[in-house]
Amino acid sequence: MADLVIPQHILDDMIAHARELAPYECCGLLAGTHGVVSRMYRITNIVAMEGAQNLSSFDPAKVAHLERLSPAERAEIAFVMDMQDFSTAKKDMRTHGLDLQVVYHSHPHDPARPSVTDIKIATDYEEIWPKINLPNPTYLLISLMHSTPDVKNYWITSGQVSPAPFTVR
Amino acid sequence: MIKVRIPTPLRPLTKNQGEVDVAAGSIADLVNTLEASYPGIKARLCDDSGELRRFVNIYVNEEDIRFLKGKDTALKTGDEVSIVPAIAGG
Repeated sequence: MADLVIPQHILDDMIAHARELAPYECCGLLAGTHGVVSRMYRITNIVAMEGAQNLSSFDPAKVAHLERLSPAERAEIAFVMDMQDFSTAKKDMRTHGLDLQVVYHSHPHDPARPSVTDIKIATDYEEIWPKINLPNPTYLLISLMHSTPDVKNYWITSGQVSPAPFTVR
Repeated sequence: MIKVRIPTPLRPLTKNQGEVDVAAGSIADLVNTLEASYPGIKARLCDDSGELRRFVNIYVNEEDIRFLKGKDTALKTGDEVSIVPAIAGG
């Protein structure tokens, strides 16, 4: 399959989003057509909202870890997408005939590769995408652990992670 | 009956069932009916005023209830309801 194409201005905007929210994790979606991204949606990270950790697919150890932290600290190591924002983005995609292509989030302190939690939740979500009429997206990570941001994209399928290279144009 | 898809995080409340059948005329009715069978589930889905929490979506036949009539969305026999947890990660 041809590499996904991400326009430079959208890549820059994602990195800006990650930097604006650091040390907290940012999250969002990319959509487009024919393998070319044309729109980015910033989604609010509501992991600090009461009860959010209980209705995501975090494993019990991660929930216990999150509950030991203050709400602000939780957002440094996790994200939960605001599904109101998600619904609005999904509607916009439909209006403009765009396909969901990428779910992105930042790792302010860690490398640009999916965490155990990322892999578990993405795997749980595989059965949900068809129910909500969306294709399986790739997962893009923005690491801010070094002065130059590192951005990598992956397929996560049945617990297995494989690179999903992209081209910036 | 309405088929309701239960996501992984809520299955401990539904005796690990991934799908349950419920008789209900609306989403609000469905949530109350689920609560009667699986106590605790309503608080996970709705806030104190009965509105859907921001970290969950409910779809009726692949349509988001936020773009139908919210909790007043009508249901009929044969409808499929999916409770969708937020996309998340660490």
